[in-house]
Amino acid sequence: MKDFKHIGTSTDKIDALSLATGQSMFVDDISFPNMLHVKFLYSSYAHAIIEDIDTTLAEKHPGVEMVLTYKNTSRVIHTTAGQGWPEPSPYDTYMFNKKMRYIGDRVAAVAAETEEIAREALKLIKVQYKVLPAVLDMEDAMKDGAPIIHDEPEIKGAYDIKHNLAAHILVKVGDVEKGFAESDVVVEDTFEVPYAQHCPIEPHVTITYLDEYGRIVIRTSTQVPFHVRRIVAQVLDIPVQKIRVIKPRIGGGFGVKQEIILEDVCAYITMKTGKPARALFTREEEFVSSRTRHQMKVNVKIGAKKDGIFNAIRMYVLSNTGAYGTHALTVASNAGSKTLPLYNKAPNVEYIADVVYTNLPIAGAYRGYGATQGYACLEQVVDEVAHKLELTPLEIRKKNHIKSGETSPIFRALGEGREGVTQYMQSCALDELIEKGAKEIGWFEKYGKKTRNGSKVRGIGMSIHMQGSGIPLVDMGAATLKMNEDASFNLMYGGTDLGTGLDTIVTQIVAETLGIKPEQVIVYAADTDLTPFDVGAYASSGTFISGGAVLRAAMKIREQIFEVAKEIFGEYDERDFVLEDGKVTSKKTGKSVTLSEIAYQTLYVKNQHQIAATGSMVSPYSPPPFAAHFVEIEVDEETGIITPIKYVTAVDCGTPLNPELVRGQIIGALVNGLSYALSEEYKFTDSGRMVSSNFMEYRIPSTRDIPEIVPIVVRTYEPTGPYGAKSVAEININGPIPAIGNALYDALGVRVHKVPYIPERVLEAIRSKK
Amino acid sequence: MKVCYSVNGKKKEFEIKAGEVLLDVLRRNGYFEVKGNCYMGTCGACTVLIDGLPYTSCTMLAAKVDGSEITTIKGIGTLQKPHPLQKAFVEKGAVQCGFCTPGIILVAYALLKNNPDPTDDDIKKMLDGNLCRCTGYVQQIEAVKLAAKMLKKGDE
Amino acid sequence: MLKLKNVKSCFTPNSIQEAIDIHKKSGGKAVFVGGGLDITVFPNPAIEQLIFLDKLGLTYIRDDVGNIKIGATATITDVTKAPVMQNYLKGKVKIALTELASELLRNQITMGGSIARHHFYSDILPVIYALRGKIMVSDGELVEEFFVDDFYRNDLKVLMETHIVVGVHLNKYDDSFQFGSKRFVRNATDIALLNMAILAQIEEDIIKDVSISVGSRPGPAYRFEQGEAFLRGKKLTKELAEDFESFTKSNVDVTKDMHLCKEYRQHIASIYAKEMLLDFIGGVR
Repeated sequence: MKDFKHIGTSTDKIDALSLATGQSMFVDDISFPNMLHVKFLYSSYAHAIIEDIDTTLAEKHPGVEMVLTYKNTSRVIHTTAGQGWPEPSPYDTYMFNKKMRYIGDRVAAVAAETEEIAREALKLIKVQYKVLPAVLDMEDAMKDGAPIIHDEPEIKGAYDIKHNLAAHILVKVGDVEKGFAESDVVVEDTFEVPYAQHCPIEPHVTITYLDEYGRIVIRTSTQVPFHVRRIVAQVLDIPVQKIRVIKPRIGGGFGVKQEIILEDVCAYITMKTGKPARALFTREEEFVSSRTRHQMKVNVKIGAKKDGIFNAIRMYVLSNTGAYGTHALTVASNAGSKTLPLYNKAPNVEYIADVVYTNLPIAGAYRGYGATQGYACLEQVVDEVAHKLELTPLEIRKKNHIKSGETSPIFRALGEGREGVTQYMQSCALDELIEKGAKEIGWFEKYGKKTRNGSKVRGIGMSIHMQGSGIPLVDMGAATLKMNEDASFNLMYGGTDLGTGLDTIVTQIVAETLGIKPEQVIVYAADTDLTPFDVGAYASSGTFISGGAVLRAAMKIREQIFEVAKEIFGEYDERDFVLEDGKVTSKKTGKSVTLSEIAYQTLYVKNQHQIAATGSMVSPYSPPPFAAHFVEIEVDEETGIITPIKYVTAVDCGTPLNPELVRGQIIGALVNGLSYALSEEYKFTDSGRMVSSNFMEYRIPSTRDIPEIVPIVVRTYEPTGPYGAKSVAEININGPIPAIGNALYDALGVRVHKVPYIPERVLEAIRSKK
Repeated sequence: MKVCYSVNGKKKEFEIKAGEVLLDVLRRNGYFEVKGNCYMGTCGACTVLIDGLPYTSCTMLAAKVDGSEITTIKGIGTLQKPHPLQKAFVEKGAVQCGFCTPGIILVAYALLKNNPDPTDDDIKKMLDGNLCRCTGYVQQIEAVKLAAKMLKKGDE
Repeated sequence: MLKLKNVKSCFTPNSIQEAIDIHKKSGGKAVFVGGGLDITVFPNPAIEQLIFLDKLGLTYIRDDVGNIKIGATATITDVTKAPVMQNYLKGKVKIALTELASELLRNQITMGGSIARHHFYSDILPVIYALRGKIMVSDGELVEEFFVDDFYRNDLKVLMETHIVVGVHLNKYDDSFQFGSKRFVRNATDIALLNMAILAQIEEDIIKDVSISVGSRPGPAYRFEQGEAFLRGKKLTKELAEDFESFTKSNVDVTKDMHLCKEYRQHIASIYAKEMLLDFIGGVR
């Protein structure tokens, strides 16, 4: 392992003190004179046509600037998914439309002098609906004769609108039927994984205004500033050059801000009125009208030989994208592509997915991106195979999981809604993760022991996981560095730190490469006018793609510095040079020059030029991080209440560039996953209205809900990543559902096939076993 | 109507509406360090200290606390002179997106005033009203303990 | 977000009399504000006046002869921190109150507000029911005392037009009494979907007296009198606890809603009933 100065140390997060002292850094921490406040009217019906809408009274209401509906806004079909171009999501959305597809769909917007006036004016809008029969169930949606949700002719890119299929995937490797027939045991099971919301504590918020040239500036809480610029330009039918997107500090995203929701409307209002416009979602809007996790029903069938080696795996996913198809295809792809390669020993693999439209809230990107749903089923079925073969969960996984130097045909067969890119594992510590995690949880002492205390029984369970690091040959990030007199460097890059600490990681990468201190790097991100392009923060791409771009820019700067040093030293071979402690030293001659001296010379004295460089990163590699999760639970067999006692997560993310930030990503994702497994629930009425739209009803965890958590980081070196790093942001949300499910089986021999594992369901499972 | 608060030690008059909550008054007057959005007392991001005790300002009627001393995060430490809690949160990696952080630190501040040596359990109970979706809380609990240690050593 | 947009004036009266006068004069458009949580979370647009009770001197917890007297504007935090509560019924009432909601809300929720508004989501009322609390109301001159059961049996709306809740008195129970409470929540700071509390006087293993309360959201809390009758006079044994479990299952009255079905509520109530009795057996010397 290489020795680093700044890589692998827990540099303080560069914005942490500012945030902890309450500096104004978020979108809504500024205000403009004459700013308009935007509020939305939403459909009261799950499926309806607006026959007419009368906004006259609202428009006349004092303080109202404008009312937006399908009648007076541009009709450009697009996707709100903030993905690279061309987006793999269907074009099925308008800024405003006549057709309402769920309770929460946008009917109109009011821009007024105050929020209160806007709210009052909404009540004055008269809407005449023609109510249509709604589809509120995934299986019903595909049936012949089901109401067609997307029947407008302009729709593009959906698979089969007559069956409400937004997307369909079929990938085959080998022959699974033959594979099952030739297996000694075959196990099949189905698990249903529900709707969920990201719940960033800062909801969606956007402020737009005109700059001195009449261009629209969009200051927004987004994970994808460059996609916002492109898609708003598309929807408003104006050139990209007329728009500038600024991402200040963001109060959490987790995928929900990889979406263009408020930006187009605010920009439109500013374009039409010339006035600044602000839209801020309420918590209820965040739950109902932003984005959610795709509800899925996942079926996995595994055939294995007597020795435990898998011979065939089939996964079928039925995914609910809700009213619109944002990320419909790609989330479903990832449910397979981020899970099946883990068990690469099986020569026969089949992956099928149907993604249906329903008249329910819109799904989108959410940390884990389908893998969470896939693992919820896969990792429980793997345990079931083990039980049948009388192998332990550890043994069956060790026999089947992917290892260094190996690949899986799935990498190529199943990409992001198209063919993928073959990946060979260059770093994989799964065996060590399993070993260390097992030791920490006390696996060998506890597994199968079912320790009992009255009605409470202990159980332990485990699961293993992989994810990716960006999307290979799709995701691109770029960074620009320039040198200043004091050997400080401006780093302008398009990477999008949502609170993850990416802006800190990149200072460490620059510091390590240029032999300076991280404090000497002045980070500016992301601003479509001032920073180079980056796809944004998703697909676990921050460190690998954006960080990789920064590394490439820094390497170019290094070369430029050496060029100047050659001149100063009168030497010719940069292989003799060491760049360290703020100076270049020649090992050969002992000559030395500080970076500051180089900066002064190049800026003012001789052969003047700006030392500056831009690096871009796009990679054929997407090295998966790996994790082994272990949980000990206590389940009360009288009440069905599951209490997690201890959770161990052993993670291989290559080189942990900043261990404290890595730990933060691990624990944060894990705790989110825990409450997804146990308490978070979307409740709907029979008419499709979501009724758990606040934190009183939708239970996310507090300090009093967390078990003992032990993160273990096993350091490997990933040659394709910056300083050996792989991603770590998403993977750890995937474990709790299957690990707890397996622990429940260990304790009581039952499985609950519908998540979350609420006490009622657990008790029902216990009873039906008896 | 008019009310008077002492905000972070400075007395000031505020024009308010009789039925509005403290959060809206504070943000309208530029105290952007007070976050929050749930308006149900359920997320804790809008926490301020009112006469030393933490409350969700989104459920506190502005008129009711006329004459009170209000402390926001800027009242306990600044970028130039941070409070040990603020330093500890940075050191322990307890700040991710930072949106919930001011509220959490204020509650922790109230805790340490009364209980300079809190157990994990004390901290968990005290911070249970401040939701954080980024960190998973572990590092925040560690940070409060570290700050307690720093305060005992007199590191102000 | 302007919560109460029709509120025009606020009052901070210095006496109960003054508070009631303002209320009467408002013609039903004024509301008393203890902590203000309920009013801001569930704002009623009909409200035009707010009457703050902060200056009525009702924020106290007194350790009196035979009684713990809690003022209406004392918050849950005030109560849980009061010296007299630390060992009251072995500290179990304090624990029951500490687990409710979150610290920030415990700082704001007042005892009086919880009583006067009689909301389904109150996790405090079941505790007061089990403890047979006495509700003190005043019209400004006289203080009247109601047993909590009677209080809600009266026409509360009519009484509250001319009176305000000034406090609650809790009997000080001797060592022969045991208290227990249980709550079913989705996670720690949730409002209970179902909760139960039992106060039992146990002498020489015989349940001399007992009060049991049940809260099943969205129904308001009530006394489970059939259960009390079942237990009264019986010997506290493991078998009794088990019998009581099945008795509760078939007799407890619970409402269902989208959160939880009736059958599970009956089941969980019966388990809680049994567990609390078993705890008492452990607690009997």
